[in-house]
Amino acid sequence: MNQPLIDLQHISKSFDGTMVLDDLSLTVKENSFVTLLGPSGCGKTTTLRIIGGFESPDTGKVIFDGQDITNLPPNKRQLNTVFQKYALFTHMTIAENIAFGLKIKNKTKSYIDDKIKYALKLVNLDGYGNRSVDSLSGGQQQRIAIARAIVNEPRLLLLDEPLGALDLKLRQDMQYELIRLKNELGITFVYVTHDQEEALTMSDTIVVMNQGYIQQMGTPESIYNEPENAFVADFIGDSNIVPGIMLHDKLVEIFGAKFECVDKGFGINKPVDVVIRPEDIDLVEPGQGTLSGVVTHLIFKGVHYEMEVTTPDGFEWLVHSTDLFPVGKKVDIHVDPFDIQIMNKPASEDEEAIGVNE
Amino acid sequence: MGITNIPMLNADIVTGISLMLAFIAFGISLGFKTILIAHITFNIPYVILSVMPKLKQTSKITYEAAMDLGASPIYAFFKVVFPDILPGILSGFLLAFTMSLDDFIITHFTRGAGINTLSTLIYSQVRRGIQPSMYALSTIIFLTVLVLLLITNFKPPKKKVIPGMAPAGAGAAGLAGSPSGNPDWEDPNKKFQKIQRGAMTIAAVVIVAVVGLVTIKNYSITHSDELYVYNWGEYIDEEVVSMFEEETGIKVTYDMFETNEEMYPIIEAGAVRYDVVCPSDYMIQKMVENDMLAEINFENVPNISQINPVYMEMSKAFDPQNLYSVPYCWGTVGILYNSQRLEELGVEPPDSWADLWDPALSGEILMQDSVRDAFMVALKKLGYSMNTTNRDELEAAKQLLIDQKPLVQAYVIDQVRDKMLGGEAAVGVIYSGEMLYLQEEAEALELDFDLEYVLPKEGTNLWLDSWVIPQNAQNKENAEKWINFLCRPDIALRNFEYITYPTPNQGAFELLDEETQENKAVFPDLDTLDNSEVFLYLGDEEDAVYNALWKEVKSK
Repeated sequence: MNQPLIDLQHISKSFDGTMVLDDLSLTVKENSFVTLLGPSGCGKTTTLRIIGGFESPDTGKVIFDGQDITNLPPNKRQLNTVFQKYALFTHMTIAENIAFGLKIKNKTKSYIDDKIKYALKLVNLDGYGNRSVDSLSGGQQQRIAIARAIVNEPRLLLLDEPLGALDLKLRQDMQYELIRLKNELGITFVYVTHDQEEALTMSDTIVVMNQGYIQQMGTPESIYNEPENAFVADFIGDSNIVPGIMLHDKLVEIFGAKFECVDKGFGINKPVDVVIRPEDIDLVEPGQGTLSGVVTHLIFKGVHYEMEVTTPDGFEWLVHSTDLFPVGKKVDIHVDPFDIQIMNKPASEDEEAIGVNE
Repeated sequence: MGITNIPMLNADIVTGISLMLAFIAFGISLGFKTILIAHITFNIPYVILSVMPKLKQTSKITYEAAMDLGASPIYAFFKVVFPDILPGILSGFLLAFTMSLDDFIITHFTRGAGINTLSTLIYSQVRRGIQPSMYALSTIIFLTVLVLLLITNFKPPKKKVIPGMAPAGAGAAGLAGSPSGNPDWEDPNKKFQKIQRGAMTIAAVVIVAVVGLVTIKNYSITHSDELYVYNWGEYIDEEVVSMFEEETGIKVTYDMFETNEEMYPIIEAGAVRYDVVCPSDYMIQKMVENDMLAEINFENVPNISQINPVYMEMSKAFDPQNLYSVPYCWGTVGILYNSQRLEELGVEPPDSWADLWDPALSGEILMQDSVRDAFMVALKKLGYSMNTTNRDELEAAKQLLIDQKPLVQAYVIDQVRDKMLGGEAAVGVIYSGEMLYLQEEAEALELDFDLEYVLPKEGTNLWLDSWVIPQNAQNKENAEKWINFLCRPDIALRNFEYITYPTPNQGAFELLDEETQENKAVFPDLDTLDNSEVFLYLGDEEDAVYNALWKEVKSK
């Protein structure tokens, strides 16, 4: 455990002159669940395909368990992939699908049969071996795709948005299923998704990517609570990102109001970006908070109300609260010091893309 | 991609001729492989059109998934991609197969000696009577297609909603508990598709096998010793060919032509190398003039002695030194008349061409619908040579034909004999070769009238078909063996009995019964032919003059 299983070293890749990955380095430890998270076109799938061997990097190396596998074709790599669209072989039965990899490895029939049984049991599809692919639902097909991959006992399982085509309820079920599988099998998972909730639920480590760069890497908690830049803050959950001035350590001024915070070391009177999560904003009666405004929008979301509070400077604050404040009501905003996250302002757009990697 | 569609957009005739010219230009002699290349060429777009969409539909992902599971690229292709595009390949195959089976025009132009596809084979048989095996073949193909269509159009039982069939939502529920329904359940549609696919395969195999057998029968093993014969249709007893093969061990590839004009360009282009050809007099002259014929080594043809010297003399009209040709069949053109009909009309039986201008025969005359034959009649009536190039003589002949036109029932070729047998006309201009056949037929039909043949006293067209060897023949000695074989009296007799055209073979003539020998319609006294001539090749310019005049006659 905790040995690096995959080590990507300075990977660059471009398609038709468009840079998709730029000098990307990433280490995945053995037996971890790493999620590559980012919007479409951020390079996460390309990264996965480079690990899988379906693309070769323009520059850089792929090290697998200490061995350079940069130029190894996919069929020679000790890893398996679960594809976004399942990629089951429709002209074969479920059992034949699962046996595909084992047959290539010339395993005995009894071994293969045992494995099929075991794998079907593992994904809760006992006895489905003789069915055709078309007769299964999307979720069942996805579980077969996973079964097909894991019977080969890979050291690393790559999952490319495997739940993307499923409905919400099924997706949540499958998330738990995947976590259970990972724990039972002890396989390292590298998971690609653009769904931040999925990433937060399942991962040990989240790698947030944008425009071919790693923006931030860390545990779900640290990514959520301490986004290092505006992109991460905005992408992970909802955020209020407002310009502020760091008056001095532990005190930030936003729209003329002074907020206490816990951040230090930004200097004195330094312009910064301030991130405040909508659920961290407390709405209080006028006069009791730091900044006053009016509720201008209200939506019932089930678990909570989503409200917009407009302050005199025109900024619309997004607020999640279980308490109802009707539209037109004057309210004050209060934020606890530890709920305020201060970030350096990016100097340029390019720097914004690269992220602030101190 | 666009270039592959050219054969599809082109007219077949253009593709066929272009390919033939291309083969000739590249010095590829026409044969089985040229048909093969041509068929591949014009079928490529159809196969691409049916496979391409399937290939595009097949996501690259399944191929990658197979690679990911350890398959080598080739294994992945055959195990995963191939089954996916198989329906496209199958339909492409069926389409190409049908197109190929169906094609006549392209095959006709690119085929070599003795190579036939089903369509060209059937076409050639249509000309000389279809064999029963063709009926059998057509029946098998038709029944196979019919059964196939019935199977593919038969709707499978409607898909029932089976309670166990788990829709997407139930699948999620199945996560926690055990999977619902019977897991061994198989889609009835799938089963039916399997049957359909099986039926299609069987049908394809049956058709391929049947057609293949027919082809193999026609295209048997290649012999080291070969002979390519190019002859008129219906112009040999097929037994004779087998006898020749048996006796000499030479494999004969036998092809047929309909007219001299069809044969000429094929020999001229040299695309198909025939070893021995049987053209008519004027065409032999043209071929000699164009240096297309090889001198026959008569040392290899001892049976030439069996040919009555009279005919060798006759041949000198087009082969002045008797170097290139050996007479095979000959004949005359004369008048066939229905004696009863003439009696009814009160007209004496004809004995000259001039009788064809008798107004009493109005609407009772059948003329040959070919320029030289028609002008021959008029020129001979006027006492001119039928090979004349004198404009005044031709003009006079033209006027004569125009004058005759109101009396003529029809200008025909083959229908002369049918119309005369049917009693539709009183007199007709006809080739003497038809006579024996006509007389036998008249007997068989028990007609209540007699058909008689007369050689007009002004003289007539004396025609001669002779064997010649083209310059580019590859098996010249075999060709000489062939000619020698056909000159053997017993063989010539067999051929005479089959073709019923007069034979120049004295040996064969002597073997005939007296009745036939004295049938003047078949074997006229040679001294009655004093004024007769052999058609000569007049050159393209004169041909054009004749054609122009003939056009005037026909359009008046």
